[in-house]
Amino acid sequence: MILLISLVIGFSVIALFPTFSDAQSEPKTFVTHSGAVVQTSGEIIDPLYAVSTVDFDPMEYLRNFNYGQVSELPDGTVVREFTIIAEDDKIMEVSPGVFYNVWTFNGTVPGPTIRATEGDLLRINFINNGSKEHTMHFHGIHPAEMDGVFEPVGGNGGRFLYEFEAGPVGVHPYHCHVMPLEEHIVHGLYGVFIVDPKEERQPADEMIMVLNGLDTDFDTENNFYAANTIPFYYQHHPIQINTNELIRVYVVNMVEFDPINNFHLHGNLYKYYPTGTDLVPSFYTDMITLSQTERGIMEFEYNYPGKYLFHAHKVEFSEKGWVGIFLVSENSKKNTQELVRGT
Amino acid sequence: MELNNTSSKWKVIASGIIPFVFIILMMVYIFGPGADLLDFGVALPEITIEKVDFVDSEIQATVRNTGPIPIEVVMADVNDRIQPAAVEPDRFLERFETTLVRIPFEWNEAEPYTIGITIEDGTRFEKKIEAAAPALELTFDLAIFFAIIGTYVGIIPVMIGLLWLPFIKKISKQKYHFFLALTAGLLLFLAIDSIEEAVEISDESLADSFNGTLLVSTAVVLSFLGLYYSGNKLVKLADSSKLTKPVMIALMISIGIGLHNFGEGLAIGAAVGMGSVAFSTFLIVGFALHNTTEGIAIAAPMSRGKLMLGKLAAMGLIAGSPAIFGAWIGGFVYSPFTSVIFLAIGAGAIFQVIVVILKWIQEESDKNLSSLAVISGFAAGMLVMYLTSILI
Repeated sequence: MILLISLVIGFSVIALFPTFSDAQSEPKTFVTHSGAVVQTSGEIIDPLYAVSTVDFDPMEYLRNFNYGQVSELPDGTVVREFTIIAEDDKIMEVSPGVFYNVWTFNGTVPGPTIRATEGDLLRINFINNGSKEHTMHFHGIHPAEMDGVFEPVGGNGGRFLYEFEAGPVGVHPYHCHVMPLEEHIVHGLYGVFIVDPKEERQPADEMIMVLNGLDTDFDTENNFYAANTIPFYYQHHPIQINTNELIRVYVVNMVEFDPINNFHLHGNLYKYYPTGTDLVPSFYTDMITLSQTERGIMEFEYNYPGKYLFHAHKVEFSEKGWVGIFLVSENSKKNTQELVRGT
Repeated sequence: MELNNTSSKWKVIASGIIPFVFIILMMVYIFGPGADLLDFGVALPEITIEKVDFVDSEIQATVRNTGPIPIEVVMADVNDRIQPAAVEPDRFLERFETTLVRIPFEWNEAEPYTIGITIEDGTRFEKKIEAAAPALELTFDLAIFFAIIGTYVGIIPVMIGLLWLPFIKKISKQKYHFFLALTAGLLLFLAIDSIEEAVEISDESLADSFNGTLLVSTAVVLSFLGLYYSGNKLVKLADSSKLTKPVMIALMISIGIGLHNFGEGLAIGAAVGMGSVAFSTFLIVGFALHNTTEGIAIAAPMSRGKLMLGKLAAMGLIAGSPAIFGAWIGGFVYSPFTSVIFLAIGAGAIFQVIVVILKWIQEESDKNLSSLAVISGFAAGMLVMYLTSILI
C-alpha cells in the first residue's frame, strides 16, 4: 500500500515537474529607456522602471512627521519627547537584490523626521543599541554639551538625554558625529529636524526629501543616489499630488563623497527658502545647487495635470537613482472654487 | 609459491591505495565535521566579465562566477549609469557558472564603454572596452575576408620563404648548419612570442582562479611532451617507411609552425572581432615579412634530400593555412580560454621542434653544437625575428 502511494506521488511529481520548468522559462518582457520592449527567457534585473518594493517604504517616509510625546511645563512651554534608538547591525535591501549594512536611527535611513515649533523644549532620549559609539548632533542653536560631539554614547545600551529649545525656524539635519564621521554618515545615521515658525506656514501638501547616496562597495564613490534612500523609487512609484494645491518640500542634502548635489523640477519653478530660516523666498527657480548638509524649503503649485520628473541635473546622480515623478491629478475641489470665483 | 606471489601483489596494490584512502578521509573531515576549524576569514565574492558583445541595440556581457562562493547578479550598468537588463538563464551563479547579461543600449561604434555588473552584496565589477564594434556575424563575405587575411599572413609568406630552398641547397655544410641554427633561433622567438601572448590574454580576460601563467606553463609542457613522444614514434616509423628523416623533421616543423600560426590567426580574428585593431596594409605587410622566415625553417632540413616540390608545397600549407582557421575561430567564436590554450600548445609544439632540429644538427655536425656557424645562426634567428616583429 505504502509502496503504491509513494509510486503515485513519485509519478505525479515527475509528471508535474516539466510544467513547473515550463512556467519558469516562459518569456518575460521589459521596457528600456527608449521605450523598446525586450523579451527574455531569463530574468529581468531592472531597478529603474519595474515596480518593486524593499524593506524601507519611501512613500511612507515622505509625509511622515513626528511631533513627539507632547506635554506642557508650568510656564506653558510645550515639551516634546522623542525616543531615538541607534543600531548598526541591520542588513537592508536598498535596491532590488542589493543588500547593504545600514546604521539606523529607529530602524530606518533616514531616521524619523523630528518636528517642533520654535521655542518648544525638545527632550530626546537617545539609546545606543549599536556595537559602536554613536551620538546625535543637531544642526541649530543649542548649548555646547547638547551638541553630540564630545559626549560619545557607548554601544550596547548607552543612553543620553538631549535637551534643548527648538530653533531657529527652518529645516535642519541631525546626524551621528562620532569619528570616523564619514563612515557613520554614509551608513545612514542621519535624519531631518524641522522647526516651524510660531505663526504657522500656509497649509500645504508637505513632504520631506533627503537626498542621499549609498557606497555599497566601500570605494568612496557612491553606487546609488536617491531621494529618500531607495534608488528610482519615486520613478516607479510616482508621488501623487493635485493641481492648484500648494506643495512644500523640505529638502536636505546628505550626499557624501560628491561635493555637490542639485534639484531640478520639470514643467514648473519653485520658490526656494535656503535653510527655511526666512519666510520670504530667496529664489524663484527650477534648479538649486546643494553642498553637504545644505538644505531648504521649496514651494510650488502645478497648473496642468500629468507626469513631471524631478531629479538631479547632475545626470550621473539621476541615472544612478536620484530621479522621481510627480503625478499631478486634476484637483476637482479647487476647480470648483475657481469656477465660483469666475462667475 | 603462487599464493605468495598473489598476496604480495595485493600488498603492493594496498600500499598504493592506502594514502589515497587517507586523503579522502581528510577531505571528508575538512568538508564535514572539521569545517568549523577552517571557518575563519571572509570569503570575498568575485565575478569576471569574460566577454562583451555589441549587437543590434544591445550590449551582451558574459559573466562568470570566479570567486569561492555562489553569487547573484542584481544590476547592470553602462559607463556607471544603471540600465534595465535581462540575465539568461538566471541571476544565480554557482562557482564557475556563467550567465549572459543583456543590456538594451543604443551604443555608438568605435566609442569606449565600461560595462559594470553589481552583485547582491553591492560590489560592482567592471570591464572596459576600448572601442565598441559590432559582434561579427558569420557571413560568407566575412569568412572570405578572414580567409584572405589568413592567406596573406600565413600561406603566402611561408611559400615565399620556401623559395630559399635552392639557395640553401647550394651552400656548404657549415653554412647549412648556420641556416638550421637560424631556424631554431626563429622558432625559439616564436615560442616566446606565443607564451607572451597567452599570458597577456589570460591576464586581461581570464579570472585569477584560472592561474593564467600556470595554465600556460602546463599546456606548454604537456604539448611538448605529447609531441616529443609522438615525434620520436614518427621518426622510428620514418626509418621503415619511404619518408626520409629530413622530410620527417620538416613535417614536424611545419606542424609546429602551423599550430603557432593557428594561434596567430586566433589573435588576428579576435582583434578584428573586438574592434581593437583596424587592419592596415602596413600591419599585414609586417606579419607577412615576419612569417616569411618561417618558410626558411621548413626549407632548411628539406634541402639535403631530393627536391620534392609536392611535399614542400603540402608542408607550406600545413604551416600556413591554420592561420585561416584561426582567424575564423577567433573572429566568430572567440573565447579567451581557448586562445590561451591554443597559443600554449603552439609554443610547446615549437619547443619540441627546436629540440628535434638541435638533435639533427648534432648528428650532422659530429656532436658539435658550439661551432661558430650554429651559435651565430641561432643568434641571427632571434635577431631577425625581433627586427621583423617591430614592424607589427
